[in-house]
Amino acid sequence: MKEKLQKLLAEGEAAILRTKNETELQEVKGTILGKQGTLTELLKEIPKLAADLRPEMGRVVNEAKTKLNSLIDSRREELKLKAAEVPADFDYTIPGVAPLMGGLHPITQMRYDLDDAFRSMGFEIYQEDDITSELYAFDKLNFPPNHPARESMDTYWLEGHDTGDAFRKLCLRPHLTGGSVRYMQTHKPPYRFVYPGRVYRNETTDARHERAFFQYEALIVDRDFTFTAGKVMIKSILSKVFGRDVPVRMRAGFFPFVEPGFEIDMGCLVCGGKGCSVCKHVGWIEIMPGGTPHPNVLRAAGLDPDEYTGFYVNIGLDRLVMMRYGVDDVRLFHSADLRFLKQFH
Amino acid sequence: MKVSLNWLNDYVALPKDMDLKQLAFDLTMSTVEVESVTELARQFDGIVVGEIREVLPHPNADRLRVCKVDIADGQIHDIVCGGSNLAAGMKTVVACPGSFVRWHGEGEPVEIKNTKLRGVASFGMICASVEVGLSDLFPAQEEAEIMDLTAFDAPAGTPLAKALELDDVILEIDNKSMTNRPDLWGHYGIAREISALYNLPLKKFEPYVPGEVPAFPISIEDTDRCPRYIGVQMEGVCVRPAPFLIQSRIWRVGMRPINALVDITNYVMLAVGQPTHVFDSDNITDYICVRRAKKGEELLLLNDRTLSLSEDDLVIADSDGAVALAGVMGGAKDSVLPDTTKVILEVANFDAAGVRRTALRYDNRTEASARYEKAIDPDRCDLALSLAMELFSGLYPSVKVCAYADQYPRKLVKKELDVELDWLNRRLGKHIPNEEIRAKLELLGFEIGFTETAMHVVVPTWRSTGDVGIKADIMEEVARMYGYENFEPTSIVTSFDGAINQLETDLLRRIKEYLAFRCGLQEVFTYPWMQDVYVNAILKDTEGILKLSTPPAPDESMIRSSLLPNLCRAVVENERYFNEFGIFEEAQVFQDGGYRAVYDEREELPRQRRNIAAAFAGNAEDVSGLFRRAKGVVENMSRMTHMESLTFRRMEKPYWADDTVWLNVYLGDEKVGDLALLSGKASMAVGIKNLAVVFFEIDADSLKPLRSRTNEFHHLAEYPLIDYDLSMLFDREIKWEQISACALKKKNRESFLQDVQFVDEYKGAQIPAGKKSVTIRLTIGSSEKTLKSEEIEKCADSVIRQLEKELQGQLRK
Repeated sequence: MKEKLQKLLAEGEAAILRTKNETELQEVKGTILGKQGTLTELLKEIPKLAADLRPEMGRVVNEAKTKLNSLIDSRREELKLKAAEVPADFDYTIPGVAPLMGGLHPITQMRYDLDDAFRSMGFEIYQEDDITSELYAFDKLNFPPNHPARESMDTYWLEGHDTGDAFRKLCLRPHLTGGSVRYMQTHKPPYRFVYPGRVYRNETTDARHERAFFQYEALIVDRDFTFTAGKVMIKSILSKVFGRDVPVRMRAGFFPFVEPGFEIDMGCLVCGGKGCSVCKHVGWIEIMPGGTPHPNVLRAAGLDPDEYTGFYVNIGLDRLVMMRYGVDDVRLFHSADLRFLKQFH
Repeated sequence: MKVSLNWLNDYVALPKDMDLKQLAFDLTMSTVEVESVTELARQFDGIVVGEIREVLPHPNADRLRVCKVDIADGQIHDIVCGGSNLAAGMKTVVACPGSFVRWHGEGEPVEIKNTKLRGVASFGMICASVEVGLSDLFPAQEEAEIMDLTAFDAPAGTPLAKALELDDVILEIDNKSMTNRPDLWGHYGIAREISALYNLPLKKFEPYVPGEVPAFPISIEDTDRCPRYIGVQMEGVCVRPAPFLIQSRIWRVGMRPINALVDITNYVMLAVGQPTHVFDSDNITDYICVRRAKKGEELLLLNDRTLSLSEDDLVIADSDGAVALAGVMGGAKDSVLPDTTKVILEVANFDAAGVRRTALRYDNRTEASARYEKAIDPDRCDLALSLAMELFSGLYPSVKVCAYADQYPRKLVKKELDVELDWLNRRLGKHIPNEEIRAKLELLGFEIGFTETAMHVVVPTWRSTGDVGIKADIMEEVARMYGYENFEPTSIVTSFDGAINQLETDLLRRIKEYLAFRCGLQEVFTYPWMQDVYVNAILKDTEGILKLSTPPAPDESMIRSSLLPNLCRAVVENERYFNEFGIFEEAQVFQDGGYRAVYDEREELPRQRRNIAAAFAGNAEDVSGLFRRAKGVVENMSRMTHMESLTFRRMEKPYWADDTVWLNVYLGDEKVGDLALLSGKASMAVGIKNLAVVFFEIDADSLKPLRSRTNEFHHLAEYPLIDYDLSMLFDREIKWEQISACALKKKNRESFLQDVQFVDEYKGAQIPAGKKSVTIRLTIGSSEKTLKSEEIEKCADSVIRQLEKELQGQLRK
C-alpha cells in the first residue's frame, strides 16, 4: 500500500504541475481528492488494514493529502500569476494615445512667459481698450500735430469719428503707449507695469509687415532712475525668454515719446554675433525701441518730470516669436490656420 | 541716404588708416544707423585703362576686330572686340582675366577668362560702360560703343577705379534713423558728427558776399511758410555736362548727373542738405513772388504733370503766374533748356509742414521735399549759397552776377537752455567732467557756459528747429557722445509693499489655459475687422457696428461687435484640412454706443468689451455629442477657473442659432453669453461644407473671479455608496432636467438616495416610436450603516414609481 501511495503521490504531483488552468487543476484535484478520487479510495482502504498498521498508514495518507492540497494551492497561485501576465508579443512600438491637443497661440505663450518674468520682478500687468482717441494716441505722446503717423495711410480711423478735435477722433490704437498714459493718470507713482496688447497699422502687408500685431510695453517710473538700469532690465528679460545669456546694446534712436530714445539690439542668436543672413551680417538684431519717457509724456500723465523719470521699452512680440521659432511670415499669426498653430503645442 | 567717404573728407580730415568697421559702429551707436559699408573700387578689381595700338580685321568674322592693346604689363595683348568706335590711339577700359563684368549690363557679374573668339585668342575684354556699371557716367550713343577714356589723364595700365577717382567708400545710412535730424541730410552734417566723435576740426564755409549789384525783385507774401528767400540772377552760363568729378560724386551717392546747372543744385543739396533750384531767367517775368496758390490755379511741373492747385499750396510766381511748387518741384515753364544762358538761383527756406502737405496732396515727393519736411533751419541757406557760388564760378569762369536779393523776414531764434548739473549727474548715473562735456558739445556747435551748479547751453540753429528743445535733449547729446557703451549697467532698486494681486487678469489667463489644456481647444487670432459675408450670415443686422474710414478691403470695413463672424471664417478655412477641431479666441468687441469718458472728460470712447468665444466643429451626424462637449466646457469653466458660477437659461434665441439647439449663458440674473448650434441657414451662407459647428461666446469682462479657492472638504464616505443604473422609456419631449428633478424629489431624510446622474440617452431600433430610453444612475448609500440589498431596492423602487407616476416613465426590463 505504501508503494501504491508513493506512486499516487508522484503521479499526482506531476499531474498538478502539468495543469494549464484552473479547470484542469479542478479536474486533477477531483481525480485525486474527490469523492471517488484515488487518494480518497486509498483512505477508504485503511479500515481494512490490520489494526496495528492503521495509525501509521492513516498518518502517511493524510500527510500525502495535505501535501497534494498545498501543491494544488501553490499551483493555483502560479496559474493566476501566469494568467495576469501580458503575452510576450505585445507591441510596445504602437504610438501612445494623445491627450487632448489644444494649445495657446505662440504669441500668447510668449506673452505669458514675459508676464511671468516681469511679475517675478514686481511688475503689474495692465490691459486697456483697443479703440482710443487721437488725444491719447498722439497728442499726449508728444507727437507733433503734423506727424505722418496721424495720417489715415498709417492709422485706422473710425468712420464718422475721423474729423474734429483730437479727443473726438477715434482710431484702433497704433501703439500701446497712449494706454500707458491712462495707467499713469489713474495710479500713484512709482510705477512698474507691463502692458501687452494688439496694435493696428494701416499698412500693405507682406512677410514682414502686418496690419495687426502684438506689442508688449514695460514701463518703470521712479525718482532718479537711470537708463543704464533699463539695460539690466532688458537683459534679464531676454535671457529668461531665450533661456541663455543674450548680449544687448542700446544705441541712439528717435521716438517722439522718449528722450533720450534708443534702438535696442540683441546679439543674433542664429550666428552668435558673427554675422549671417538673419542679422543682415551685422551680428545684431533690432528688437525694440526704448528710452526715458519724454517730459511731455510724464506731464500728460500728471507727473513732474523734474521729480520723476523712468525707463520704457516696447517689445514687438511677433518679431520675438518669429526669432524664437524661425517663422518667416508674420501673416501666419493672424491666419487662424491650425496647420501652423498646432506646431506650437 | 548714401554717404561718400571721399566727400566727407572735404569737410573733416579722416585719418588715412580709418577703420571703416569702427566708423560704421561708432556712427550707429551714437548718431545714425549705418546699414552697410561698400568699397566701391572692389567691383573694378582687375579692370584697367588700356590703350589701343592697332585695330586689325578679324580673319573669320566681319563684325569683329582684333585689337592690339597696351595695358602697361610689358606685353601687347590681342583682344577681340565688336565695338563700333574702336580706333588706334584710343584709351579704353579693359577687363583682364579674373575680373567681373555684367554682359550687356544685365544679370549677375560674370568672370572674364582667356578665350578664343571665332578662332582668335583674346585676352580679357574691352568694355562698354554698361558692362562695368558706369552707363550713367558714360552714356553710350549707340549700342556697340565702348568706353572712351582718351580725354582722361591716366596712362595705360592705371586701375579704372583710380583713373576715375572711384576708389571711394559708400556708407548706406538708414533714413528712418535720422528723421528727427534735419541737419544730417547731407555730407556736411554727417561730417560734423564725425568731427565730434573723433575730436577732429570741421571745415568752415566762407559766407558769400555779393558785390555791388542791383537788387533782384523778390517779395514774400507768406512769411510763415517762407522765412527766407535768396535769389541770384547770373549770366554767362550754358547747358553742358558738369566736370567728371562732380558727376562722379553725384553718381556715387545715388543720383544721376544731368547737366552742369542741375548738377550744381544736386551737389549742393547732397553736400549741405539744403535744396536749391535754378530757373531760366528769361522765362521769369518781372519779379519773383512767394505766395499761396489761387484755388484751381494750374501749374505744369517739370515731370509733365499738370496740377490744379489748392490755396494751401505755396508757389514761386512771377507776374504771369505760378512757376514752381515751393520746396517740392520746379515748373516746366521756367526750367533750364539747352539754350539757357541766364539763370536765377533759388536758395530758400520753406515751412516743413506746408511742404509735406503739398507733396502728399499730389503724391509728388522729391529729394527736396523730403529734406524740407524735416524742418531745415533758414541759416543753412548761407552754406548752400556759399558752396553754390563757388561751384558756379569754378564751372563757369565768365559767370556774372546781375542781381541779388536775400529776403529773410523771419529769423530763427537759437534755443537756450539751463541744465542743472546735479540733475544731469543723477539722470546719467555718472559724473562726467565739465570740460569733457564742453569739448564734445562745442564740436557739435553748441555754445556752453558753466556756473557753479548749472550749464547754460545755446543750441546751434541747425538743431533749433524742433530737434533740441529741452534739457533731456542735452542729456542725450552728452550721453551719446560719451558713448552709451561706456556707461556701466546699474542695478534696479526696488521696494516691496505687498504681493501683486490681480484677480481679473489672472482669471482671464486661467480661462484661456483651461480652454487650451483641459478642453483641447486651440487659441487663434483673427483681425478686428469682419468680412461682410460673415457679418450678414451671423449677425442680425449691422446697426451699432463701428466702421473703419480706410478699411483693409472694401468688404472688411466693419469692426467686430462679436467674435463669431471671424471664428466662423476660421472654421470655413480650416475645414479644408481638418474634419474635427475646436478653436477659441479672446479679444475685444466694439459697439457704436455707450460712449463714455474715463481718463479725460472731453473724450468719448465707445463701448468696448473683452469676449471669449469658441467653435466646436465636428461630424454633423453627432450634433448631440458636439453640443454636449461645448456645454461641458462652459458648465465646468467656473469650477476649474475659480469664478462665480455660470448657468443656462432659454430666454432669447441668438440670431445665428439653430431653432432647437441653443442656450443663453447667465451669471446670476445677468445674461453674459450664448451657446448654440450654428443654424443650417447660416452654415450654408458662409460655405461650411460638411461640419456641424457649436459656438459659445461669453462676455469675459462680466465674469467674477473668486477671491480665493472655495472648494469644500467632505469626510470620505465611511459606508459604501452604491451606483444603481436603471433604464426607462419616456416620451421624447421629456427633458433630462424634468427627469432629474423628479427623481431628486426622493432625495430626503428618510431615503438613502444621494444623487441622480445622467448616463445616456438612446433612440434606437428597439425603442417604440416617439419614445426614448434614458439610463439614469442613482447613487444610494447612508452615512450611518452599510445598506442591505432590500433597502437599496426599496430606494430605487421609490424613484422608479415617482418617474412612472409623474413622467409616465416605463422601466425597461
